[in-house]
Amino acid sequence: MEGASYQRFPTVKIREMKDDYCKFELHSTDASMANALRRVMIAEVPTVAIDLVEIEVNSSVLNDEFIAHRLGLIPLTSDRAMSMRFSRDCDACDGDGQCEFCSVEFHLRAKCINDQTLDVTSKDLYSSDHTVVPVDFSDSGSGIENSEQRGIIIVKLRRGQELRLRAIARKGIGKDHAKWSPAATVTFMYEPEIHINEDMMDTLTLDEKKSWVESSPTKVFDIDPNTQQVVVVDPEAYTYDDEVIKKAEAMGKSGLVEIYAKEDSFIFTVESTGAIKASQLVLNAIDILKQKLDAVRLSEDTVEADEQFGELGAHMRGG
Amino acid sequence: MNAPDRYERFVVPEGTKKVSYERDTKIINAASFTIEREDHTVGNILRMQLHRDENVLFAGYKLPHPLQYKIIVRIHTTSQSSPMQAYNQAINDLDKELDHLKNAFETEVAKHSREF
Repeated sequence: MEGASYQRFPTVKIREMKDDYCKFELHSTDASMANALRRVMIAEVPTVAIDLVEIEVNSSVLNDEFIAHRLGLIPLTSDRAMSMRFSRDCDACDGDGQCEFCSVEFHLRAKCINDQTLDVTSKDLYSSDHTVVPVDFSDSGSGIENSEQRGIIIVKLRRGQELRLRAIARKGIGKDHAKWSPAATVTFMYEPEIHINEDMMDTLTLDEKKSWVESSPTKVFDIDPNTQQVVVVDPEAYTYDDEVIKKAEAMGKSGLVEIYAKEDSFIFTVESTGAIKASQLVLNAIDILKQKLDAVRLSEDTVEADEQFGELGAHMRGG
Repeated sequence: MNAPDRYERFVVPEGTKKVSYERDTKIINAASFTIEREDHTVGNILRMQLHRDENVLFAGYKLPHPLQYKIIVRIHTTSQSSPMQAYNQAINDLDKELDHLKNAFETEVAKHSREF
């Protein structure tokens, strides 16, 4: 197909990267692309989560469906999810959702036999597949080092109570149910561009400068202790609240500061639930978005049907 | 009780086309594309990409109803192009942009992993 290309070449700069957290800059693209990535990360990147629970014995204080719901919300390591099948289009088990290509089986057996309360946690879940296990938060490092760091509490049992169940985990997406969402939070903001009118700023007294600096709810500006000049300390702390602009106007100094949002620069913050790494989440989102675009390409028969119609139309128009 | 099934939001029903094309009956070089089971994610990037094409006179999308899981993209072009050509061009450009973005991100991840 001829026609000029209107492609953009976005650039990326990673500022911080941890397993479950990633902060990066995205340049030379527009808000629609940034927002599409955010939406895909939240609702369309697949993970694995418990979807079916068969309870054998439950004499705990929580009812069966309450426990089933809690099990569903436990994040499972889902690095394999992108290559797994959705149980609804799995040929091996005709949509049954119980074969190795589209599901993982878990077992849980817990009984309290003494007077001490027994905590049933995600670590009591036994997986049939070592690549899909409940997320382990204990070695996250920065957290408080607890000697007996255990998993996510599912239920507490007292003497004589028992819980025994079988669970099936399946691949799914956040659009279906939030338990499948790999993202804890994904946000982006426009990169702000702050210009102080230095000449006008010099006409302010130190007290005026102080009160102007303090009018910002977040610490964007400060006064240099040596030169007593107002400096921008953290442009990204600006929340587009307009408080400093209103303050300048109230002081009769409108135009003291000008703040623009750079419309082609974004700062992304991605936090993962632990199901997949934050950086992998971004890469998966790009892949999913590509797949979605491929799916909306026009099919051959639509094009052909139109070409016939087009000739007819041209004939009619041409006269 | 009568809520639609959750999967209705993203599973294209059998016998339905993902994309259907309808030419405008009155205006030459104008058409509507109905995309099943898509939302603002695809609608908005397509629209914005179409706006970059100077042969596109109008490009817009709508989500007719929150419980009708489809979007309608309307394109009007000059006689130098056609809605179908503009639509394909926009998808190709977005696809290439994402390829580029993926490479850029992977290089950054590799660079960042080496530093630690």
